[in-house]
Amino acid sequence: MECIITIEIGTGAIRVVAFDLKGIILGSAKGSYPTFHAKPDFSEQDPEQIFITMLYILKNFLNEKIHPKKHKVICLCFSSAMHSVLPIGKNGVPLGNAIAWSDNRAKKEAHDLKNSSLGKSLYKITGTPIHAMSPLNKIKWLKNNDKDRFTATQKFLAIKTYIIQQLTGEYIVDYSIASATGMLNTRTLKWEADALKYTGITKEKLADVVSVFYSPKKLKREYQASLGLHDKVKLIVGSSDGCMATLGAGVWGDGKATVTLEESGAVRVVGTEILQDEKQRIFNYLLTEGLYVSGGPTNNAGAVFEWYAKQFGDFKKAFDLEDCVNNLINDAGKVHAGSAGLIFLPYLQGERAPIWNADARGVYFGLNINHEQQHFVRATIEGILYAIYSIGKTLEEHQTIKSLSANGTFASYPFWTQMMADIFNKPVHIKQGSGSDSVAFGSFLLSATKIGLYKNLDEAAETVKLPDSFTPNKQLHNVYMKHYAIFERLGVKLFDEFEAIADLQHEN
Amino acid sequence: MNQYFLKKECKELHVFPHVIEFALKKINNIQFDSFKKTTSEFLRFYYVIDGRFDWIIDSEHHILYPDDLAIILPGQSFGGEKDLLDIGTVSWVHLELQQLDRTGKICMGRWSRLTDSECRTIGRILLLNICPVLSKLKEAGTIFQNMKNEFINQENGHTGRINQLIDELLILSARQLTRQHNSQRDFPQTFMKLEQTLRENLSHQWTVEEMAALVGLGTTAFSEKAKSYTGFTPLNYLINIRIAEAIKLLKHPEVHVTDIALDVGFYSSQHFATTFKKLTGYTPSEFRKKNIIVNE
Repeated sequence: MECIITIEIGTGAIRVVAFDLKGIILGSAKGSYPTFHAKPDFSEQDPEQIFITMLYILKNFLNEKIHPKKHKVICLCFSSAMHSVLPIGKNGVPLGNAIAWSDNRAKKEAHDLKNSSLGKSLYKITGTPIHAMSPLNKIKWLKNNDKDRFTATQKFLAIKTYIIQQLTGEYIVDYSIASATGMLNTRTLKWEADALKYTGITKEKLADVVSVFYSPKKLKREYQASLGLHDKVKLIVGSSDGCMATLGAGVWGDGKATVTLEESGAVRVVGTEILQDEKQRIFNYLLTEGLYVSGGPTNNAGAVFEWYAKQFGDFKKAFDLEDCVNNLINDAGKVHAGSAGLIFLPYLQGERAPIWNADARGVYFGLNINHEQQHFVRATIEGILYAIYSIGKTLEEHQTIKSLSANGTFASYPFWTQMMADIFNKPVHIKQGSGSDSVAFGSFLLSATKIGLYKNLDEAAETVKLPDSFTPNKQLHNVYMKHYAIFERLGVKLFDEFEAIADLQHEN
Repeated sequence: MNQYFLKKECKELHVFPHVIEFALKKINNIQFDSFKKTTSEFLRFYYVIDGRFDWIIDSEHHILYPDDLAIILPGQSFGGEKDLLDIGTVSWVHLELQQLDRTGKICMGRWSRLTDSECRTIGRILLLNICPVLSKLKEAGTIFQNMKNEFINQENGHTGRINQLIDELLILSARQLTRQHNSQRDFPQTFMKLEQTLRENLSHQWTVEEMAALVGLGTTAFSEKAKSYTGFTPLNYLINIRIAEAIKLLKHPEVHVTDIALDVGFYSSQHFATTFKKLTGYTPSEFRKKNIIVNE
């Protein structure tokens, strides 16, 4: 049987999935790698460890699941997390670790740029909000704070660019990853001169920008041999994880939006225009020519609930987080919507959309003597979803949203998905049996389009079936909205206090 | 509670050449210079029965309360903060081990029933964990109490029992050290700590038993958790780190391939070459030649 293999270079793991040409999963494997935090704001990853993990997992997967069954691999399609920066020296050798997407070291650079006229014009041109995670500011940070490394750098790569270069020898970056650097002009599809000037580099220091459908040169002979892959196997550069998840969720036109609930979360819509937000709250990433994924990301989705579980949950067995999370969700179901007036602001890791405030912090508000543990659990989930809702509301200032498609680990809990439907007062669909595989499925659709199974991505996206639907309960929606109004005001009113407490915490 | 004190010369200790000192001491009034900071080649355990003790262990200040156990490694200095013993009751034992070196290699001696690999693991844990005080460890108190009774009663079988109790004290300490170090809630975080330890000692020939003990799990549970979290068996994960480090070193042409093999924990350059080739399709030297772009 012919098959398509997708390779996701995620934030903490490689995921390899094989599909037949109808989009049925033939098998999958994953391998994780760590993120190092040498300083609180630093998040780094070892590019060689990512590369070797990819190779190791892919090789084992092919040898165990694909080759023995005589499946014929037609193509390999890549996707990866956005915002990474890996400086390499003149021999193509990495100069230290890669700066991962979540790295916050460029806070000051981002802060200074954001409200300047250059910052505003860069947002207009690139579609990427000015923030610490965007490579634009990370490179600027290197220039300001790590002069030696900056000067020795021959190229600033994304992790995916490095992996593909190792496999093929070519330095390329796809539209999606490139547009998430904050340096790509989304109209000309070229590196933006003003952004280059700001970071103090020339375009030769960046990889060549290519379409997400682009096929790099062949795999190096040695890798063909070790992986047991024919030299006719096509490589497809692919897109970013966010864009792939959106494509894989089949969110296309007609008032549809997608919600991703992993450790972090996002609400996204697809359109043919960049959404220009006066307050720079919305990102716009290029999926392919003339097709944009716009939306807002949150730092505080599943990660916050897992934090709660680890601190306050009951671990019957060592390290059994899943069991603990299930019990907590059951507890949350024992009390009513609104958690008897307990409201939670989930900004434990600062927040991106829509408030874009790195100093924001978590708050339980409205505690009274009758509140019990279950109220805390439920309030925690409600707060996380209020934050998701606040992103949706921001998007709705630009585009009508009629229904949602949910994906990610936490979307697979019906309790969460139903609550999301009630809070948004919109139907929520989830792909049957889908956990976190919409990134892989998006990569499949992209590959299938490339090899001619679909005319274009529109046609590919239409094939996504979303049978499981959660209908909103209007009454509960009203309850949630009364609480949400306070939630929203608190986020604004506490602005000064967030800054004050964040300062105090930085001192410690 | 009666006081009790055995020193090396005492006849009770003749059958225990590895026990240098065993004591239960009640301090009713403060005596200056009664507890000066000393360094010894012995492994010392001090258990607080009651009172509050201000101690300096390896230049760090610790306050111990009842049921706390201090572990002082050979070569570490130890004594009262003011060079005296505070008021209270404390029990201790000094052990002479056949070997405990900086790499964590530990040999108890023939009296112990622990296997070589168990000793190795305990040694590694003792040396890796920076925390010398285990708090609220009542079980340690029971062990000290039982040891004292056995010494006093000299009943048939007491030699075997006391040696068993010492083994137990070592096992308890090692297990508790890892538990105190890891919350048993957050596997990713715990695994990250382990990974750091592995990277810092990459040339060591790690076993699954050692890795499992460091995170405070049995080998089966650990292998399962590691596999589901990382996608690799523990030993394959380790190979993964070794190869990743090797790739980095291979990209520095001045380092010899043989040195790289040993540095990253392969037992020979042959072993390194085979593993490397199997995974990447290149021999290490080919990889070096083809992956450094010279003219750019």
